[in-house]
Amino acid sequence: MPAAIGQELVALLPRLRRFALVLCRSQPLADDLVQGACERALANAGSWTPGTKFDAWMFRILRNHWIDHLRRMKAEGMTEDVSLQTQLIGDPGEGPVLNRLVLSQVQRAIDSLPQEQREVLVLVCADDLSYREAAEVLGVPIGTVMSRLARARRRLMEMTDAA
Amino acid sequence: MSQLHLSDEILMAFADGELEEPTAAAIAKAMAEDPVVARRIMEFQQSRRLTRSALSDALSPDVPAHLRSAVSAQIRAYEAAAGSTSGPRVKASWSERLRSNQALGQWALAASVAAIALALGYFAGWWNRPEAHGLLAQLDSPILHRELDRTGSGQDVDLPFGRLRVISTYRVADGSLCREFRLHAPAEAAEAVACRDGEWKATFALATPVGQDAYVPSGGGDPTAAYLQTIGAGEPLAEEAEAKALAETSP
Repeated sequence: MPAAIGQELVALLPRLRRFALVLCRSQPLADDLVQGACERALANAGSWTPGTKFDAWMFRILRNHWIDHLRRMKAEGMTEDVSLQTQLIGDPGEGPVLNRLVLSQVQRAIDSLPQEQREVLVLVCADDLSYREAAEVLGVPIGTVMSRLARARRRLMEMTDAA
Repeated sequence: MSQLHLSDEILMAFADGELEEPTAAAIAKAMAEDPVVARRIMEFQQSRRLTRSALSDALSPDVPAHLRSAVSAQIRAYEAAAGSTSGPRVKASWSERLRSNQALGQWALAASVAAIALALGYFAGWWNRPEAHGLLAQLDSPILHRELDRTGSGQDVDLPFGRLRVISTYRVADGSLCREFRLHAPAEAAEAVACRDGEWKATFALATPVGQDAYVPSGGGDPTAAYLQTIGAGEPLAEEAEAKALAETSP
């Protein structure tokens, strides 16, 4: 019998939205992606092994869903509207309270990173995935994860006054 | 020792607790010997913390109702069968403080990095504050050590440089006796762990300016708890056991 993943899924929604936003940079589209990914996950709940990391499994489904979506759009000859610049919102209520200036600097710095660096940064540093898990989500070798991640973090430190 | 190239990737992997032995040990050695290496490692930890704060995932209230209900409807449709949720496991007190979804290895390492950084006097320079030497400098104070010998856990004692509160006492993996305590001064607070080996030695400490969170390692939660895990602290000693252990004359 497939594991009941409903509760975990609901608990993961905020982080799924965050990752979806990193992928597509449009909030309405991100929410559609999350919904579609949840549908896919529920249909394939049997392929998740309880005891393994549910979030990593779910991030991979979400990302594959996004890639499929891009392929479909290409096939249909549609172009993506990515003019919607999204703001990453930090919540001073959790974790260390950085001064607002530093926090907005960091947010801008993250926003300015190339897509491939942003997604690995979010998976490892915000979602606590291991390098191997991130590599599996992104479908790249571990060495690639490490070099992108190191570059992203160096740039972050260079671009903020908190260093 | 063969020369190890201290690339960003390797130092980052160390900071993230991703290195295998013996490489990790080699990096730890390099870090202890070279403040520049230590600083680079600390910066990787700092970048993780900054990212975490900037992307803080306390976004639950922001999940739009339509998405939440759509997903809930999907779940109901798919899960006719009752879900099985495992009950909470009994944990040691410090492990309760670690969030359950942490990569514990990374945590533990972050804590040991902090401990080594302490040994290097790293934190004193980290915030560039002249008074950062304050409480950390007091960890070697004989007055403090005397209180660690006799003050029961849960008690407060006023010392010349601030208020001491002893949190708990542990018998750690290597058999030594360690105590977790906090110091509060007007300008800063510190949490620390000291172990008795003939005399008390602080093995871990974090000082924080009052009114702000200064340093949180990867994971962002409770570095002291992570450190206690690293050194194999079991359950805190109960009152009687604690008094007995404290009374033991050190070899």
